[in-house]
Amino acid sequence: MGLKFRVELVWEDETDNASSMYLTSDGRVVLQGRAISPAERDALALPEGGEMISVDRNLIRAIKEML
Amino acid sequence: MFLKNHWYVAASLSEVGHTPLRRIVMNEPVVFYRTEDGTPVALEDRCPHRRVPLSMGKLVDDGILQCHYHGLRFDRTGACVRVPGQDLIPPGARVKAYPVVERYKWLWIWMGDPALADPTKITDYHWLDHPDWGARSDYLYAQCNWQLVNDNLLDLTHLAFVHETTIGNMALVEHAAVRVQRTPTGVQVTRWIIDQPAPPAFVKIGGFTGNVDRWQIIDYTPPSFIRLDVGATPTGTGAPEGRRVGGIEMRNLNAMTPETETTTHYFWGQAHDFQPHDAAVTERVFQQIKTAFLEDVSVFTAQQNNIGLDPGAATIDINADSGGIQARRIVERLYADEQALVNAARTAAE
Repeated sequence: MGLKFRVELVWEDETDNASSMYLTSDGRVVLQGRAISPAERDALALPEGGEMISVDRNLIRAIKEML
Repeated sequence: MFLKNHWYVAASLSEVGHTPLRRIVMNEPVVFYRTEDGTPVALEDRCPHRRVPLSMGKLVDDGILQCHYHGLRFDRTGACVRVPGQDLIPPGARVKAYPVVERYKWLWIWMGDPALADPTKITDYHWLDHPDWGARSDYLYAQCNWQLVNDNLLDLTHLAFVHETTIGNMALVEHAAVRVQRTPTGVQVTRWIIDQPAPPAFVKIGGFTGNVDRWQIIDYTPPSFIRLDVGATPTGTGAPEGRRVGGIEMRNLNAMTPETETTTHYFWGQAHDFQPHDAAVTERVFQQIKTAFLEDVSVFTAQQNNIGLDPGAATIDINADSGGIQARRIVERLYADEQALVNAARTAAE
């Protein structure tokens, strides 16, 4: 499938940059983050099921600003 | 909503001479003229006696503007220096004087607190008068709120529809990846098209024989300055990394000045780095863009008319609006900051 129109949102302030968010043509918001490993999930006592990613706090600030 | 503590383009330099020129800026009537030595002057265009526009009057001495109605005279600082038939000049007989600066073939005006008018804050438009660039600028009168023009210029996808027969391309909508970067001072919208055939116009201008890397970079500086950087270089020569060699570049330069809440002075120019001293090339490039811009102006008017019928009518946002939405958020923040300053000054004065 060829690329449909996609928007990458990048937020910067004086000191911090956030990871990217991607708005896709099928209506999803894709966040850039790091996958949580099974070991980490266990150590943090995170609930089972579903995929989890860890995102930077700046990205949360950026979501508030940009979405 | 107007942001007053910013520089705006008020006129092209050729418009301002020894005949008074009236222009409304942010609901304030302003008269522009030059003194005998060519210094530009901007004064409130409203005689404090009976509110007749001073632009209906004439220059009588060096930098002295005489009202058409009863002959009151004002100097370049806005002070009334003569009232016919009486020696005493009433207290308060003066009009507001605005800081102005000539730069990039435009006359810039500061509508806010004169103490904050720092000319180093004028947005860079050097392409309009730089010897390495060919350029021509123009003026359009847009019957719409100034932020509608911001929205338009920050969204490239409308090209495929509004400019279908001129500069549009459906690929821009269906097969594009756009990066919207919100920076501390503005918004940048970037699109790269890597290793693709050059469009016919680029082949003709740039003489490309193979694929190219193309870019479209929109830089928004608040409140209303939008500069488009577009061009192409032979693919693989490093343009995405900042090495632009063997290609062509153009700048589309826009500066919107609010006249009222529903009308805008739209100053714009087109600059090119190929054959910069060939006036025919400059004209051809300029006319191509102007045709497209007139298509935009028609849309602005229709939009504003509908907004006027029902300002509260619901609207939706789509992905392509991301740049414009960020710009509007910046404007809202700056407006809140400016109003806080105004209120603080008012409180201090009381």
